[in-house]
Amino acid sequence: MAKTKQEKLDLKAEKEYAKKHKKKYALKPGDVVFNIVNYGFFGIFTLSCLFPFYYLFINTVSNNSFVAKGMVNFYPRGFTVSNYIALKNVSDLGSSLIVSVGRTVLGTVLMVLASALIGYLMTKQKMWKRKFWYRFLVITMYFNAGTIPWYLNMVMLGLTDNFMAYIIPGIVAPYNIILVKTYVESIPAELEESAFIDGAGYFTIFKNIIFPLCKPILATIAIFGAVGHWNSFTDSLMLMQNSTNLFTLQHRLWIYLNSASNLQALMANPTGGSAAAAALQNAMNAKVIKYTISMVSIIPILMVYPFMMRYFEKGIMLGAVKG
Amino acid sequence: MKELKATNNKVTDFSYVILRILTAFSVILLFFPGVNPARILTGTFGISKNLSLFTSAISYESLVKDVEFAVMRYDYPEYIMLILCIASIVLLAGIAFSVAGCCFSLGNIKCKKTGSKLSLVGGILMVIGVVGIVVSYILTKDFDFASVGASKFALNFPTGIIVFGVLSAVALLLSVVVAIAYAKQQAEEHYWMESKYKLFLMFLPFILLIFIFSYLPLYGWRYSFYEYYPGGTLSKDNFVGFKWFTQLFENDATRRDVIRVLKNTLGMSTIGIATSWFAMAFAILLTEIKTGWFRRFVQIFTTIPNFISWVLVYALALAIFSSDGFINNFIKLAPDFFEKLGITAASEGYLGGDSHSWLKMWAWGTWKGIGWSAIIYIAGISGIDQQLYEAATVDGAGRFQKIRHITIPGLIPTYCVLLLMSIAGILSNGMDQYLVFSNPQNEKTLEVLDLYVYNLGIANGAQGTIPLSTVIGMTKSLISVVLLFLANTISKLVRGESIF
Repeated sequence: MAKTKQEKLDLKAEKEYAKKHKKKYALKPGDVVFNIVNYGFFGIFTLSCLFPFYYLFINTVSNNSFVAKGMVNFYPRGFTVSNYIALKNVSDLGSSLIVSVGRTVLGTVLMVLASALIGYLMTKQKMWKRKFWYRFLVITMYFNAGTIPWYLNMVMLGLTDNFMAYIIPGIVAPYNIILVKTYVESIPAELEESAFIDGAGYFTIFKNIIFPLCKPILATIAIFGAVGHWNSFTDSLMLMQNSTNLFTLQHRLWIYLNSASNLQALMANPTGGSAAAAALQNAMNAKVIKYTISMVSIIPILMVYPFMMRYFEKGIMLGAVKG
Repeated sequence: MKELKATNNKVTDFSYVILRILTAFSVILLFFPGVNPARILTGTFGISKNLSLFTSAISYESLVKDVEFAVMRYDYPEYIMLILCIASIVLLAGIAFSVAGCCFSLGNIKCKKTGSKLSLVGGILMVIGVVGIVVSYILTKDFDFASVGASKFALNFPTGIIVFGVLSAVALLLSVVVAIAYAKQQAEEHYWMESKYKLFLMFLPFILLIFIFSYLPLYGWRYSFYEYYPGGTLSKDNFVGFKWFTQLFENDATRRDVIRVLKNTLGMSTIGIATSWFAMAFAILLTEIKTGWFRRFVQIFTTIPNFISWVLVYALALAIFSSDGFINNFIKLAPDFFEKLGITAASEGYLGGDSHSWLKMWAWGTWKGIGWSAIIYIAGISGIDQQLYEAATVDGAGRFQKIRHITIPGLIPTYCVLLLMSIAGILSNGMDQYLVFSNPQNEKTLEVLDLYVYNLGIANGAQGTIPLSTVIGMTKSLISVVLLFLANTISKLVRGESIF
């Protein structure tokens, strides 16, 4: 919002006042101590949030012999990207990467489209038995049958060892629908009415008016949905027991993390000649490959993070608005 | 004449109502394996008991998964399976047409005319489908089942044939009635439908999704009353009533396990709830930082951990705390100095062992979540009227007095809602965190209810523990719902506002 002239003047006057009475506004000793402790606490805590990522990163871009000796602690030594290149020889990593990307893109797109449409429909008082259907939808947020009935249900539907198991159950997301509904309600009804008078149908109105206007909230739920898809791990664990090629990246990473030190066994038989294979096996060390795979699964999150920053406060505040 | 037309309309309307109910019913039955008409073969090489009609129709692969063996070894004619699959597809298509017909029937007479035709096609297809299944049943009769062994491969007359036979016959009959009724009527020029039905029809596909994924699992609660092994069936023979419920209390091993798991669950939840004000304190202290860029920096980077998965948190934990992780490397940089302080590198790292498991889990949870949980409080603080602070400053209030008398009272309502929600979720800690952090040394102190149910029902499901874990999961769900409603009632009484 642009500041009015009066406000600007006020601000100026305030500053001048502060300058004049600097002594009066000087910090008391108690405040100084408080500030030091406070800044110190947040500095250390933020460092504790950042450092693990940094530590992981410098270890993946350092020469493996330094890493093996535990000499890479604060800065990279012997910079190299060979670890990332070597990942192509790790068996199953490619398929799990494709699965994770695929489910994230497809699942998020379908979820956002469905949430937008349902959110819009739920604002329509005219809908036949709207209240009942809204409750039918919202009540599913507050109960669930439990893990085992859910699992047996998925088995019954043939959604085990099936890629669609990642996508279809997530299409209807009640919480996101409530967010969209709340947002649509804030759009002036006149917009819709005028289109209605011009002869547009509900779907046309949704497609041409509501959907474009909802973009901010849809971006919010898209980002949250994508992060959820990317991070999800238990559905892969439970539903894909017999098809290792459908494991998500997180599931694959978990397996690697638990495979102790014999990661070499997980390496695919490199086809590029035995000498190259031997060199690779020497160069790769189990620890570094774990770190590198972890880094690969963190990078997408860090990439969408700036976008998330723009939307997440909005998202969580809307979440506080009850449905 | 007019009167006759009115009664005529009443009859067709009534037929349509019945037809709609029947169609909805057959759509629901599509997903129940118990009434799958296509299950004409039982036994090890038969058609899976968990196969619903829907799956049989859309996936030939899963239909013949086990039968394939009989085809290869015992020359079971595969064309019968093909007929069966095609018949299932036809039946499914028939139901789809009926659904379309019913949808159209909500409009004007022109819509209804088209709808009646669709219903008619649907009815015919359904009957053809059922007949096709019966044909494949009759064809199978000629096969010499004795050569395989009755327990491995046997003919079965599924009750589903009767159910779907009756359904399709009635659907056909009713659609003939409405088709005749509407054939004579004068139609309007355009298709038209009342907007209330139009809106409803746009929502209809999602009703099906919600039903399948949120309501249908409730039907799985019946497993808690049976002796069930994976691949087995639920029948009168293995109905055990409340056996699994009593086993929770009577079987020593189970009872001990459940008590241990409950202790872990409640213990960790209680620590979480008792420290839930940390997020509020975090927010208040953060807003006391007046350097804009620093505050922003802290806020951005303390939120990152919330968006990575527990597996990645575990990866970071390994990088820092494992035997060759950062902490040990750091100590090894100056071993003499640390030795003087009484600190030596732990050769096995810091993640194993079962000491202070609860506190460690709490610490990880807090590290991951506090920045994110604080955001709602930060937003709450920025919503407090600034004039209050100004007035307090004029009155000579210090920093802590302002926090105590303005900020905290302003945040208490938000805090109470979140507190009530977390109390309602006291039994649901989720399983990801505990699953990734558990190892042979600490699994006894980490196992929470959600993880226990998973371990019992899915990881060891083959040992026949599915019913028991269903019992536990079901009880948990019921208690959680009750707690949620209690929390809501409390909120209504105290604040005069419900939380959802």
